[in-house]
Amino acid sequence: MENIKLIINFLGQLLPAINITLIVSVSSIVLGSLLGLGLAAAKQSESAILRVFASIYVSVIRATPSIIMIFVVYYGMPLFFSAWFHINIEGWNRMYFVIIALTLLFSAPVSEIMRSAYGSVSKGQTEAGLMVGMTPFQTFYRIVLPQAFVVALPNFANSVINLMKEGALTFTIGVVDMVAKAQMIVANNSGGYAWQTYCALALIYWVISLAIDKGVTLVEKSYQAKRKTIAA
Amino acid sequence: MLKIEGLRKSYDGNEILKGISVDVSKGDVISIIGPSGSGKTTLLRNMTTLEQADGGHIQFADVDKDFQKLSSKDIQTIRRNVGFVFQNYNLFNNKTALQNITEGLIVARKVNKSEAKKIALEALERVGLSDRQNHYPSQLSGGQQQRVGIARAVALNPKVIFFDEPTSALDPELVGEVLKVMRDLAESGTTMVVVTHQMNFARNVSNKVIFMADGHIVEQGSPESIFEHPSEKRTQEFLTDILANV
Ligand SMILES: Nc1ncnc2c1ncn2[C@@H]1O[C@H](COP(=O)(O)OP(=O)(O)OP(=O)(O)O)[C@@H](O)[C@H]1O
Ligand SMILES: [Mg+2]
Repeated sequence: MENIKLIINFLGQLLPAINITLIVSVSSIVLGSLLGLGLAAAKQSESAILRVFASIYVSVIRATPSIIMIFVVYYGMPLFFSAWFHINIEGWNRMYFVIIALTLLFSAPVSEIMRSAYGSVSKGQTEAGLMVGMTPFQTFYRIVLPQAFVVALPNFANSVINLMKEGALTFTIGVVDMVAKAQMIVANNSGGYAWQTYCALALIYWVISLAIDKGVTLVEKSYQAKRKTIAA
Repeated sequence: MLKIEGLRKSYDGNEILKGISVDVSKGDVISIIGPSGSGKTTLLRNMTTLEQADGGHIQFADVDKDFQKLSSKDIQTIRRNVGFVFQNYNLFNNKTALQNITEGLIVARKVNKSEAKKIALEALERVGLSDRQNHYPSQLSGGQQQRVGIARAVALNPKVIFFDEPTSALDPELVGEVLKVMRDLAESGTTMVVVTHQMNFARNVSNKVIFMADGHIVEQGSPESIFEHPSEKRTQEFLTDILANV
């Protein structure tokens, strides 16, 4: 009972820092998706250089642990910028570095997800669209995209949840997110109530990913209800 | 009405179409027959600009040009005047039977929605599927899907409809319903170019048969001349083989 009260109390102290986590996650998801889309397009492109570049990029990024990526961006980018563009970015809000690191990380799985979702829609449907006189863009937008979206959704949600968890490393470069906040609480209590504090933190992450899962299920359900069908 | 001359196409240095000329007049029902791999599908895909030919000339709708010089506007013109029925139906899986037909009318032809629906329902009626208008492709049998595919092409009222082995992906018991629809279309004067292994259709429905082998047109003529007295040895062998296997 006592513990539950404590956990609730800690929840109250941690929650205000959630906006940092949300800003970081949402920004990286949006930017990472755009970059991922670009990579997926590059992988399909006619140009061999683009295809090779995209493959190398994706395999390097996938093999990079998140914490290393965050450090490389945080320590490396300012050096790079001052050497190449003579711009000093050391004073930047540290959150930007995390967002850049997570964007890079997120783009790799997303590009793969988008590529395979696109590939799952038979090419024949595109041809049929062209032969009823639609333009390539109309065919993509009206026929291919809606189908690819449904295919991509569960994997995409998985990647989003992963990204959010990797975002828990934000504190390592000194951004005061929920994790940093939890550390401060524990420090203020001289190491006391540590497990209750982290338990409260885990609960928050748990609720967020549950919400994402639920959201995806709802979207999928509404899609199926609309189509009144099980499988193609 | 549609005239193709000297159509050539290679894949990776292999010449698949070695200069094909086809002349389609209004009301023609042309069957293209020939052994597997002879280039029949490739011919249809190149005639309809689904693929870009390496050489040859096309005269159709307002276009009178070499294939390689077609602008994207020419390609659009050609595509808007032909219908295509695919071997694997290729229905839009995210659209109902009705929407599969209205899609091209509304999006490409800018027909208003209620008019498009009226045209689509008429087309479905013609292929005997009025009661399936709200079904998705996954809820239809192969034969029904192919009939929707035919209705989709018919509804756009194209100058010519191309069929690429429309019945060869179907279970044998479903072939009849599709052939019947095609026969009805032929009888109502639709101009059709049909790649088929259905010799009965070639013989009894079409007014002209083209026999292709190895990227050439070996022989063409009326069904009687091709089936009763083929003049080329290649044609005789093919017909003997295929008729023995029926
Ligand atoms: N996209 C492609 N890339 C490379 N080769 C191809 C391609 N499309 C067709 N071919 C080759 O061209 C040849 C003719 O193929 P096509 O599909 O036109 O034959 P077909 O007469 O339609 O045969 P079938 O009766 O089996 O359908 C085949 O040898 C095939 O392997
Ligand atoms: Mg074929």
